[in-house]
Amino acid sequence: MRYIALSILFPIAAGVYLLVRKEPKNRKVLLAMTGVFLLLSAFWAALAICLGGKGMYTLFNLTDRLPILFKIDEVSILFSVLAAVIFLCAGSFSFVYMKHEQKEKRFYGYYLIVMGVFTALCFAGNLITFYLFFELLTLSSFPLVLHNGKKESVMAALKYLFYSLSGAYLSLFGLYFVEKYGNTLTFSAGGVISEQAAAGHGGILLVTAFFMLLGFGVKAGMFPMHSWLSTAHPAAPAPASAVLSAVIVKAGVLALVRVVFYSYGVSFLRGTWVQSAWLVLTLLTIFMGSMLACREPVLKKRLAFSTISQVSYILFGLAVMNGDSIAGGLFHVLCHGFVKAALFLCAGVIIYATGKTRVEELRGIGKEMPFTMCCYTVVSLGLIGIPPMGGFISKWYLAQGALSSGIRVIGWLGPVVLLISALLTAGYLLPISVHGFLPGEDYDYGKLQKKEPPLLMRVPILVLTVLSVAMGLLPGRVLDYLQQLMEKIV
Amino acid sequence: MDFVQNFPFFSIILSMLSGIISSVLPGKAAKWVNTAVIFISGVLSWVLLLYLMRKGESYTYMMGHFPAPWGNEIRAGVLEAGTALFFCIIMLLSLFGGRKKLEEEVDSEKHNLYYILMDLMLSSLLALVYTNDLFTAYVFVEINTIAACGLIMIRQNGRTIEAAVRYMIMSLLGSGLLLMGICMLYDLTGHLLMSNIHEQVKALASSGQYRTPLLVTIALMSVGLAIKSALFPFHAWLPDAYGYSTVSSAAVLSSLVSKGYIFLLMKIVYRVIGVTVFDDSRIIDVLFVFGLMGMIFGSLSAIRENDIRRMIAYSSVAQIGYIYMGIGMGTEAGMAASVFHILSHAATKSLLFVAAIGLTDVSKGSRKFIDLTGAAYRNKWAGVAFTVGSLSMVGVPLFSGFISKLLFAQAAVQNSGKMLPALIVLGISTILNAIYFMKTVIRIYTPVDSINNTADTAGDMVYAYKNRRSYTTALICFTILNVILGVSSQPVVDLIGQGLAMFS
Repeated sequence: MRYIALSILFPIAAGVYLLVRKEPKNRKVLLAMTGVFLLLSAFWAALAICLGGKGMYTLFNLTDRLPILFKIDEVSILFSVLAAVIFLCAGSFSFVYMKHEQKEKRFYGYYLIVMGVFTALCFAGNLITFYLFFELLTLSSFPLVLHNGKKESVMAALKYLFYSLSGAYLSLFGLYFVEKYGNTLTFSAGGVISEQAAAGHGGILLVTAFFMLLGFGVKAGMFPMHSWLSTAHPAAPAPASAVLSAVIVKAGVLALVRVVFYSYGVSFLRGTWVQSAWLVLTLLTIFMGSMLACREPVLKKRLAFSTISQVSYILFGLAVMNGDSIAGGLFHVLCHGFVKAALFLCAGVIIYATGKTRVEELRGIGKEMPFTMCCYTVVSLGLIGIPPMGGFISKWYLAQGALSSGIRVIGWLGPVVLLISALLTAGYLLPISVHGFLPGEDYDYGKLQKKEPPLLMRVPILVLTVLSVAMGLLPGRVLDYLQQLMEKIV
Repeated sequence: MDFVQNFPFFSIILSMLSGIISSVLPGKAAKWVNTAVIFISGVLSWVLLLYLMRKGESYTYMMGHFPAPWGNEIRAGVLEAGTALFFCIIMLLSLFGGRKKLEEEVDSEKHNLYYILMDLMLSSLLALVYTNDLFTAYVFVEINTIAACGLIMIRQNGRTIEAAVRYMIMSLLGSGLLLMGICMLYDLTGHLLMSNIHEQVKALASSGQYRTPLLVTIALMSVGLAIKSALFPFHAWLPDAYGYSTVSSAAVLSSLVSKGYIFLLMKIVYRVIGVTVFDDSRIIDVLFVFGLMGMIFGSLSAIRENDIRRMIAYSSVAQIGYIYMGIGMGTEAGMAASVFHILSHAATKSLLFVAAIGLTDVSKGSRKFIDLTGAAYRNKWAGVAFTVGSLSMVGVPLFSGFISKLLFAQAAVQNSGKMLPALIVLGISTILNAIYFMKTVIRIYTPVDSINNTADTAGDMVYAYKNRRSYTTALICFTILNVILGVSSQPVVDLIGQGLAMFS
């Protein structure tokens, strides 16, 4: 029990300590402290997962009926492992990267706080706790976006803040109804809506469920409220973008998992207009995100649009509400997490070493930094979904789930959109590798110089690449784990 | 009788007396007398609250030992003592936060006048909270009105005089209606003491006599008090009165004066008319509908506003709407939510007014949004405090506003008839709140272009508010108060429940 509290409060306390303490004279002291804090936070989270048990842990009572309580289940473990890995990788990457940015101390402070808040979000045991930390996640992550203090990034951060807060309010609406018509606010697999209480109120409950989907969907960049994502994520420093795109958007996914499978319940939502509307929205987002990514000339923005599209793959899987598709979606949470973090770190390395941000400037980049671009290419293949990479497996399950779901039109339209989008993904990711490694005949090889980044930057990228490849080669354990979960919630 | 039971009387008479004494004192001394009186009244209410919580029941206190039907009575329960304590805290902090501005904006020979008015305001608020006699309530309503006009007008320019006149006309209309209501009630029942009227009204209601006059009475009193507390269609006086007066006045007016009237209305509902009779009359639905309309139209006006002070003032209209919506639900839970919102809104709105003055002050005194760009960087504490206030108003968890919204929503889902309109309007109004408060927060944190920035610093303005200790302390105290109400709300909610139970 106390490990849960430690894993949440320790990073937050450490972050606050970094924020309020004086600027250390020696940069190395700051780095060492941050490193130790990060490792310890991950360590506490691991301990909490291993020893936390299945019990509930109440931190304090907001009101008599609304406790702030934590509970660890399969979904929490999935998301918190992803978060810990990516926070560690991006953290060690930022030790070098942040050298040329101002106000490092502030960055690490908020970075740690975000880590703690996200862990709390994973472990949250009821809707009110989830809502509390969802708001805190927005508030603590937005300083990361505005880090460099330029007008653009401040405006981007404020856009992010505004969208996220409005979304959260939309979903708060549903919370009241779940409390009224549910047996409890505590998450339980299969839903909590009590049939007697809800009888005759099905219509209004569906409306509130849809509001919750829309509201929490903002964080996951779901159409129609996606436009903050492509503004906010590229504005942040590269390690923060990696965390935002790979982990923080997953808070929206986690929220929808909790709402659909642990509050309303599949049996309540399956076959209703809410499911159809949700499916349409996710498919629209998948297609639109890929199209926009293809047209985008700035690398980090292109990656952000790709996030919009890829996260909606996950949401599509959830929306089909069938064992295979949900497993595929949750599998894609991990795949996309590792891949997108690696891609943003690669973009960061390129900015760090060459200062180039636009795609057309990147001709011959593969000759300058072969290691980085190799990793980039490998993880790109993973995201496109070429076997035997991880993306292939998640898409396989998504398509299979959709085809066997028996939903009219969407059942076959979904896989078609997935295929088209996979082609588009290849279209926006691979040209960079192609031009990078094969710059063409007029390329001036004389000016070529090796710009490979330092070891501390290469290792995180390598780790993430290996992980994303491993997801494809050895998916068995994860898939078994997800199948077990499916039996509970579907 | 315990000695503690004298405390309500002591605090009322002490604040009246200090007003009289201050009239011959110089401004500075009057200031200290006023601070001391507010502080002492707060301590007295606190001791009384502890005493009542231990005792577990309310008591009535005869003034001058005249027995019931003739004498004047004071009545104190947990809710009364708690509200009095809270009013004292807010008033003290508001005065603290606006002190420097007051010295700037008001002629120095008028300073003691200001503190006299504050003393009178305090005594009338305490009397409204504690009295058990309708006529005494009316007398103090008038004192309150006069003091409030003075507080608006003390900063003399065209706008404030106009605002004060408007306030005076509307407010006197309200008191007139209230007085008519009281007269009719006296006519019907032959009593002025609340508990005696209550018995008679019950008898009248059960026998079915005088149904129409009773209804008219309830309507007159409700509408009278609604006008005075700026419920939606009667709010025209509010934006100017709050927007142009000096900041302490605005904070006190918005967070205490209107709340005093609402508290009186609740008292009338519970202790004079009786909950069941009030529920049976249609007036409760009228209040509910006006409350809902206020929540939306107040926010819409706030969105359109281009002046930060007036925007905050319009937001008060919306928040008063919330309170009337709670009263209008006609349930115990709705009433409890309203009482909690009285506290939460008082703590937040005064925080916002005080923080806004710090922001406008570093923007060459301009209150237009365009000039406020980047103000939060120029005055960090005010920026943080304004953000906290906004987040609380919008309803982010951990701040008081979230708890009151939660209580309103819980009350709404319990009441099947009024659930849908209440929840829908609550949702819309929350989004509207988010629009204008987040717009302001975004504005004050938007960095200014570097060219303008240098022009600003080149002028080397005197930032009167920057790093002033009393101002910062007030802001920090307000913020802490807000967080306390947001995090450990359960004791307060329990207290309100206990108090409401003692009420009837």
